[in-house]
Amino acid sequence: MDQSFKIDDEVVDGVPVVSASGEIDVATAPPLRDRLQALTTSGKSTVVVDLLGVTFLDSTALGVLVGALKRCREAGGDLPLVIDEPRILKVFEITGLTGVFPIFENVRDAVGSVK
Amino acid sequence: MVERKTGTVSVDLSIPVQADLVVLARLAAATVASRAGFGVEDIEDLRLAVEELCLSLVGAREDGRLHLNYECEGDSITVTCIYETEGVAGGARGGDADDLSLRILDALVDEHGHADRDGRPSAWLRKRRSDAAV
Repeated sequence: MDQSFKIDDEVVDGVPVVSASGEIDVATAPPLRDRLQALTTSGKSTVVVDLLGVTFLDSTALGVLVGALKRCREAGGDLPLVIDEPRILKVFEITGLTGVFPIFENVRDAVGSVK
Repeated sequence: MVERKTGTVSVDLSIPVQADLVVLARLAAATVASRAGFGVEDIEDLRLAVEELCLSLVGAREDGRLHLNYECEGDSITVTCIYETEGVAGGARGGDADDLSLRILDALVDEHGHADRDGRPSAWLRKRRSDAAV
């Protein structure tokens, strides 16, 4: 597993925020999936995912995020993402996912959008 | 400035199919592309494309080996990936990941495709340097 990959949790103004950093690929996506599943199955219908520290992201990671988004929306919530790195944003653009996820440049704006 | 090494270069890499080793496939791609004078944006595109190429063959499986060949000729790099397994090949990840993988490859490389080689599933991609003369 990529040693630089890390997941942190915090609650900002009552909204759970999961922050990932490092490379999210086929090896590191499962812990992110498990963390998001744990939150959504414990009754959190909205989770902010902070990807500011992410340096690489593949289709496995996108699949994890899409799965979590579906669960949040089914529960009446949402899954806003925080991205400011053009390289990461490009992956969402070429897959057509910028029109699916609410995307913000900072955590404050993402949290504010769901309060 | 990166000094561009000219001429044809061919690099072979064989790795066990394990999630934490796929990183080696993209590291090799970045090294070959950097040596050939590809820019940072092209290198990042190629890294992601090679990851998706591997995933398109092995899906979620963790058995067998991937044999990769990186061939740099002129302004383009061709990456060929052969999946050698004793089991039934394929192993789609299901859900959205396979469709997303295809969209990423379509967007990031000039050509890509799948073909069987001696009964073994294989996939390939070709990417030209974006600053190459047309």
